[in-house]
Amino acid sequence: MHMTNDRAAISSRPALKHILAAGTIIASLFAASPVFAQGTVAGTLIDNKATASYDTPQGETTIESNTVSLRVDELLNVTVASADSGDVSATPAVTNRVLRYTVTNSGNGSEAFSLAADGNVGGDDFNPTITSIVLDTNDNGVYDAGVDTVYVPGSNDPVLAPDATIRVFVLATIPGSATDGQRGIVDLTATTLTGSGTPGTTFAGQGQGGGNAVVGATTATATDDGRFVISQATAALVKSASVIDPFGGATQVPGSIITYSIAATVSGSGSLTNLRVGDVIPDGTTYQTNSITLDGVALTDAADADAGRFSAGAIAVSLGNVSAGTTRTVAFRVTID
Amino acid sequence: MKYALALLAALLPASAFANNVQLESQVFVERIVTGPDGKEQTALQEPKVVTPGEKLVFELNYKNTGSKPADDFVVTNPMPAAVSYAGGESDGSVVSVDGGKTWGPLASLKVAGTDGVERAAQASDVTHVRWTFAQAIPAGAQGKLTFRGTVK
Repeated sequence: MHMTNDRAAISSRPALKHILAAGTIIASLFAASPVFAQGTVAGTLIDNKATASYDTPQGETTIESNTVSLRVDELLNVTVASADSGDVSATPAVTNRVLRYTVTNSGNGSEAFSLAADGNVGGDDFNPTITSIVLDTNDNGVYDAGVDTVYVPGSNDPVLAPDATIRVFVLATIPGSATDGQRGIVDLTATTLTGSGTPGTTFAGQGQGGGNAVVGATTATATDDGRFVISQATAALVKSASVIDPFGGATQVPGSIITYSIAATVSGSGSLTNLRVGDVIPDGTTYQTNSITLDGVALTDAADADAGRFSAGAIAVSLGNVSAGTTRTVAFRVTID
Repeated sequence: MKYALALLAALLPASAFANNVQLESQVFVERIVTGPDGKEQTALQEPKVVTPGEKLVFELNYKNTGSKPADDFVVTNPMPAAVSYAGGESDGSVVSVDGGKTWGPLASLKVAGTDGVERAAQASDVTHVRWTFAQAIPAGAQGKLTFRGTVK
């Protein structure tokens, strides 16, 4: 068909325009056909046929070649990638911490994949205990307990079209022995159910479209790791006292004033939320009204907007969220009875 | 009887006596095979099935089996939709990136980008390959045209 048109193009200009229109339609048909980044869909036939034209004393002649037909077999390929932007922070003994992954069918046929998570891998400081693998059923990128479906191998192996991706969550418990800054790795592995192995391994007749399934460059199994890092802040309190007696000395006699200082130092990483420092006024002493200070700034005794309060024989200062590496100092004064 | 034969001959269309050019298409796949000596080598195989990414070599064999030269010989091969053009190997080929509307060396062609701005055409944009013969093909002459493609 092409050649008939092409010849007309050479011999007659008006006919050329006619063909150009036809050519444009063909081009747009090509553009409309689905193009998969990971390759032609398995089962597609590649037909090649050339045409030729030539002139003879009897006029133009158009001929066609034979058609060579090839079928595209299915390539088995899979890609796994961690979907977390970095290490996921966790605290010791916490349960159901979530790591996120994506599993992509990078082959050219629809395939089911088996999933496996392993927390017992080397190169880290502790082994997270896997509690479950969960499929992001509602495809919102966030683990929704009770909404997203728990993965059961052999029961709900995800089936992915070529190029399709599913998000997968791995839930793990952090051992109580883990300490600040330590890392724990969890591997997620996805494997093509049809089979995996050395690239080029062929599973006869098991490809989409009735052809063979051939293991691709990814070996039809892929693994990526997600990482937990322990982010734990701890507070240490150091209390000190200084005494001034009524005579300008430092003896502890009735009337002496004791200034207690409590230094709260947060170390480790992350922060402590709603850290509160409290102290009971010792027996045999009397609290000096409105003597609480925080980092040298006076606070009132009332339960009001400022952080300090005095009630029921004890002072309390709310420090709020305190980042690791910070020291806040609370002080108050009592008089020896 | 002789008369009848003569009449039959006169009734046959002229094309039966015209020049006859044959065109044969072959497609090979380039595969790495391990030879008897254990060394890997590239071999051209004639496959029934291929997989995405495989390299194909298209061959067009033409032969003038007639008794007269064939003038203005033009061969056109539309790219199969699942194959990406990967270069011509025979001299004198031109390509089209718009379904056969315009022709030229790939470097001279442009296509409209997704943003509407024209960009230089890539090999993957090629829709047709064509050879236009400047010389007539003498009677009995034959030749081979080759181009390469990759399974998308």
